[in-house]
Amino acid sequence: MLYLVGLGLSYESDITVRGLEIVKRCKRVYLEAYTSILMATDKAGLEKFYGREVILADRELVESGSDEILAGADTDDIAFLVVGDPFGATTHTDLVIRARELAIKVETVHNASVMNAIGACGLQLYTFGQAVSIVFFNEHWRPDSFYDKVMENRRIGLHTLLLLDIKVKEQSWENMARGRLIYEPPRYMDIATAAQQLLEVEEKKGLQAYTPSTPCVAASRLGSPTQNFKAGTLQQMAEYDAGEPLHSMIMLGRQVHDLELEYLYEYCDDKEAFKSAVVEDQKFFAPAPYIAPEENFSD
Amino acid sequence: MDKVTNVRNMSVIAHVDHGKSTLTDSLVQRAGIISAAKAGEARFTDTRKDEQERGITIKSTAISLFSELGEEDIKEISQKTEGNKFLINLIDSPGHVDFSSEVTAALRVTDGALVVVDCVEGVCVQTETVLRQSLGERIKPVVIINKVDRALLELQVSKEDLYQSFARTVESVNVIISTYVDKSIGDVQVYPERGTVAFGSGLHGWAFTIRQFAIRYSKKFGVDRAKMMERLWGDSFFNPKTKKWTKNAKDADGKPLERAFNMFVLDPIFRLFAAIMNFKKEEIPVLLEKLEINLKSEERELEGKALLKVVMRKFLPAADALLEMIIIHLPSPVTAQYYRAETLYEGPSDDASCIAIRDCDPKADLMLYVSKMVPTSDKGRFYAFGRVFAGTVRSGQKVRIQGPNYVPGKKEDLFVKAIQRTVLMMGRFVEAIDDCPAGNIVGLVGIDQFLLKSGTLTTNEASHNMKVMKFSVSPVVQVAVEVKNGNDLPKLVEGLKRLSKSDPCCITSMSESGEHIVACTGELHLEICLSDLENDHAGVPLRISPPVVAYRETVEAQSSMTALSKSPNKHNRIYVSAQPIDDETANAIESGKISPREDFKTRARLMADEYGWDVTDARKIWCFGPDGTGANLVVDQTKAVQYLLEIKDSVNSGFQWASKEGPLLGEAMRSVRINILDVTMHADAIHRGAGQIMPTMRRATYAAMLLAEPRIQEPVFLVEVQCPENAIGGIYSVLNKKRGQVISEEQRPGTPLFTVKAYLPVNESFGFTGLLRQATGGQAFPQMVFDHWATMNGNPLDNTSKPGQIVAETRKRHGMKEDVPGYEEYYDKL
Repeated sequence: MLYLVGLGLSYESDITVRGLEIVKRCKRVYLEAYTSILMATDKAGLEKFYGREVILADRELVESGSDEILAGADTDDIAFLVVGDPFGATTHTDLVIRARELAIKVETVHNASVMNAIGACGLQLYTFGQAVSIVFFNEHWRPDSFYDKVMENRRIGLHTLLLLDIKVKEQSWENMARGRLIYEPPRYMDIATAAQQLLEVEEKKGLQAYTPSTPCVAASRLGSPTQNFKAGTLQQMAEYDAGEPLHSMIMLGRQVHDLELEYLYEYCDDKEAFKSAVVEDQKFFAPAPYIAPEENFSD
Repeated sequence: MDKVTNVRNMSVIAHVDHGKSTLTDSLVQRAGIISAAKAGEARFTDTRKDEQERGITIKSTAISLFSELGEEDIKEISQKTEGNKFLINLIDSPGHVDFSSEVTAALRVTDGALVVVDCVEGVCVQTETVLRQSLGERIKPVVIINKVDRALLELQVSKEDLYQSFARTVESVNVIISTYVDKSIGDVQVYPERGTVAFGSGLHGWAFTIRQFAIRYSKKFGVDRAKMMERLWGDSFFNPKTKKWTKNAKDADGKPLERAFNMFVLDPIFRLFAAIMNFKKEEIPVLLEKLEINLKSEERELEGKALLKVVMRKFLPAADALLEMIIIHLPSPVTAQYYRAETLYEGPSDDASCIAIRDCDPKADLMLYVSKMVPTSDKGRFYAFGRVFAGTVRSGQKVRIQGPNYVPGKKEDLFVKAIQRTVLMMGRFVEAIDDCPAGNIVGLVGIDQFLLKSGTLTTNEASHNMKVMKFSVSPVVQVAVEVKNGNDLPKLVEGLKRLSKSDPCCITSMSESGEHIVACTGELHLEICLSDLENDHAGVPLRISPPVVAYRETVEAQSSMTALSKSPNKHNRIYVSAQPIDDETANAIESGKISPREDFKTRARLMADEYGWDVTDARKIWCFGPDGTGANLVVDQTKAVQYLLEIKDSVNSGFQWASKEGPLLGEAMRSVRINILDVTMHADAIHRGAGQIMPTMRRATYAAMLLAEPRIQEPVFLVEVQCPENAIGGIYSVLNKKRGQVISEEQRPGTPLFTVKAYLPVNESFGFTGLLRQATGGQAFPQMVFDHWATMNGNPLDNTSKPGQIVAETRKRHGMKEDVPGYEEYYDKL
């Protein structure tokens, strides 16, 4: 049996009780270490907490060495630990498909992920649209297709969750082109960089999917005790120092509920300014005024 | 120098041993740099020790000469001039085919060319190559037929035979010119009767043009000079009895008449030769007086050849004839840049830089092309040698140094640095100058470390690059070098860098397995480069592997099925197929006719019109490879894949990687077209980064290639051998042994010499010269120049075939797995 176990967001103890029981009895335990990191602990901390050995699985192992992970899983129990929720990122569906091909049973233990924990900022999960990643721009690669997706979301008034790039163990462009396995030091994108990249793309495209005064919410270290939110315009985000990683950001859509707004006041410097920014921003993509159907009192 | 209309930039080009350097000497001597006695022997422009020892030119060398022209002659110049003082920047270039790249670099900075042709050997393979190159660069040629003394002294030809031989040579030069000429420079064929052909002997230091004789005789006959020039060449005869000119070779009585050229031009020369060489003492003073030649008393004492030399030099000084021809007929930078601008500049022809080049404007922003690096006396440092095409270059000036991969608006391959000093290059010496305006050739100090081999210097941020030079030769012969003493390794690495910098065509690299590779155009080039490396650049003892040939990987057919590869995370899929590119297109890409830097619409039009491509396909070429310039293409044939452009860069990089090291033996690919048929992509950009796409594209390319009847191509030399008839048998037997293929065998009219042309695989060429010498008793010397890539028969995947063996050997050398993996290795099932 292959168990996919979610680890939650921050502490080693964020694992669920059922998850912990599985980890303790499995023959091998892999920790996937490249799509995200546990903010408050590391591999050694986990091993100590579980009281057993944990194998670190980097990108190469998961993508190219799945046979090694799945070896013996038809008879033994193997656990694959994923920070957040196992299916929070799409990355691991492939592992499940390969397990299925080998007739290995798969069971999942869920946990909190940024996809649901982001509700903590006060915006309702119901009104979120497609989530997108903001990738580190470099001289070769400046992907801006997220712009269209933000546009699609905002056109129908939905919020957009922006996941910020992390490079835990990546090759530089040059090393990649030469097929050398030399890795760069880890990098985590911060709020300011993401906001600057968003502004750069808007300036380039000029289609007003959003503007410098579009309201946003910055979430830093979500799920940890130092979790922090900040509400402000995109321009303010570009100058905001959110501190330690990890960071995420939300760009608001038109459909802001009064309660959401009230909740967000807690996180902004200037209530009035933020409110007027929200009202101002609602003019974009505004639908025709709603006209209630005429009620028929005839009978 | 500031009067650009009075500058002539010219190169001396020719086949090896036709006498370029010797002829150049007579010009140098006129400028007073070497003594008249030494001229013809000193080979002033052969500055290197090995050049002097071997008697061949290896590096091109520049010198500047001042000259004055008489009032009369100035009138002949059809372009704008000021005063009668002229500056001639002359570059002497090597004639051996292995060093053709030096010629290319020389041609780039000059506007005119003095083509030297041996009067006995005639137009040879390298004559044709250099002429073709110069016409491609829109450079105007004038011709000198050299070594006329040989024809007179050794072959003892008659006047009419000599005339016929001249005429044939001129005609074959004109055939080449009309084949390769670019319409925009107009008619550049050469005509003796217009003074664009000279005849002479570099060794003896004499030469003449018809024009000079026409001047003499026009006074005598009282005829207009231009008319006289026409009469002195071609089917024009003089009847001494009637004193009439006629077009018929016979007079009214049916008696043969003597050709005007023979009678008026050759006759005095023949008489002088006969008198002096046959020691007819009493005739000599009479002749001398008639020809108005005054000898000094000690010169009168001389006899035989020495006397002949002195007399001829007084009678027809080579420098006069050549300088006159150069100044009158070669274009000034102002004239030349007007028609050369568009072929020199990569950017649009209406932007400021291109207009400045066209007008040769010294006040505009600087545009300077560095065509080569010349070693300085300071070891490891180089002068950047180039030509100012617009603006003025000064010592201390801050310039943008744009390498060949620079793209306007980006920062890659770009430095902004100050020029320390500007200098004039004078053969072995340099002379510092303060500044140098457009149209001149100049050396720059202090920017060598920012340029690899060549590049553009400018002060305008918006400027595109000047066009990169295309070499007619390619580095197909390579060796691995290692140090004998391990501690010397850093010196070797540094030395390799310097070697690569100092030679336009030598490539140094490091292979996968850590070997240091030096690639050259031929055996001689290799020999020179290695001795430079060992004795000069690195200065440490080296161990050198036997030479090996660079191969190419290609395909013969369309992939038998669509190749699919999935990215490591399996969320991205690339579907491609491979197919061969026809030879014509591949050659056009390699010669720069189809250029990756061209606007894609113009390029697509050209490919559709001239190479039979589908316009839609041609417009959707994503990239060339390897190195962004090679003759392999990626064509996008997908239909409506969203965000496809976001992975274009990664796909292209993956292809560069794949095309540089193919699946068969890790050599570059050639003539392979990869069609991207479909792409599946992950919805989120973070899951389709370069790390996912690049390896996938590489694998897909390999799979598609292995599915499309892969083949290997080997480089083939064109060999030209001149020899007497009795040596031909030996040549054939050696060629047979070496897989050579004879394409023509001709006797050179008027001589006992035969010219054999053949194709010879480069792989078989090692030691070919030695074998040939043995088999022909030292009578035959081959000239070998890279000609084309030939696909080898036989399946390279079959270990018993010839290509199969090459694959196995090369894989072993590259440290790859022994067997070529099957396509399954790179192919992912759906």
